[in-house]
Amino acid sequence: MTVEALTEYGFEPLCVPDPDREITGVYIGDLLSWVMGRAKSGDAWLTIMSNINIVAVASLADTSCIILAEGVTIESDVIKTADAKDINIFSFSGSCYDAAVLLSGLL
Amino acid sequence: MKELSLNILDIAENSVKAGAALTRITVNETEETLTLTIEDDGCGMTDEILKSVTDPFYTTRTTRKVGMGIPLLKMAAEMTGGGVEITSRHKDEFPDSHGTTVTARFNKKHIDFTPLGDVTESIATLIQGHPDTDFLFTHRTGGKTVTLDTREMRAVLGDVPLNSYEVICWIKEYLKEQYS
Repeated sequence: MTVEALTEYGFEPLCVPDPDREITGVYIGDLLSWVMGRAKSGDAWLTIMSNINIVAVASLADTSCIILAEGVTIESDVIKTADAKDINIFSFSGSCYDAAVLLSGLL
Repeated sequence: MKELSLNILDIAENSVKAGAALTRITVNETEETLTLTIEDDGCGMTDEILKSVTDPFYTTRTTRKVGMGIPLLKMAAEMTGGGVEITSRHKDEFPDSHGTTVTARFNKKHIDFTPLGDVTESIATLIQGHPDTDFLFTHRTGGKTVTLDTREMRAVLGDVPLNSYEVICWIKEYLKEQYS
């Protein structure tokens, strides 16, 4: 499925500069240096971290999107950077587990 | 990074890349805090570059567009209620006293504090990778002071390269002994 289709399943778009990006898997993690080396290209990355560094990690790992679980909010300058760097970000009110279960049925 | 010792490696690599002849790595621990200082005599940074080093999209690398060393250290420190301070003197402005100092403060009691980890291994790795530059490592913890000065080693070893197998093994043993 494409990143854009996430909006139909309760994922709220925060910035989607690359809506046609295909989601090919899921990775869950909050330790950024760990995620950097382990998330695969195309993964939807589920995290609760909202620091500007997540945009850099998503860019390095080439994930299809960042999904902020637990309704975590994000600073506007992070969204601005993500837009400039072509990084998709969504927010989700449930836990990482809830999001993963939902995505598991969709992929 | 799961261990601060890996952050140390990352930051010290920047010093080497800046052409440092001597890099001082100091870890000061009290019951409550851990302060990491990495001080080099490399080329230093201009004010403009200094302002951008905490931005993850700034890097001295040419192979990729993102530099995570300082941003990750800053985040790890801030997560414990501490922080990172960087001062730098660029060689154009300070031809006789240039260099960069990175200081990171951590509150050890905070639940998100990243453990220091195997710092002995990190120091050995650093020397192995850069046998021609000097490092002064000092770790003060629990009333003990652990040190290693590659300048002293060089004076004793003469022409033996610091990255030879025997020397690296000796470094690890020497540090381990001081910790025990």
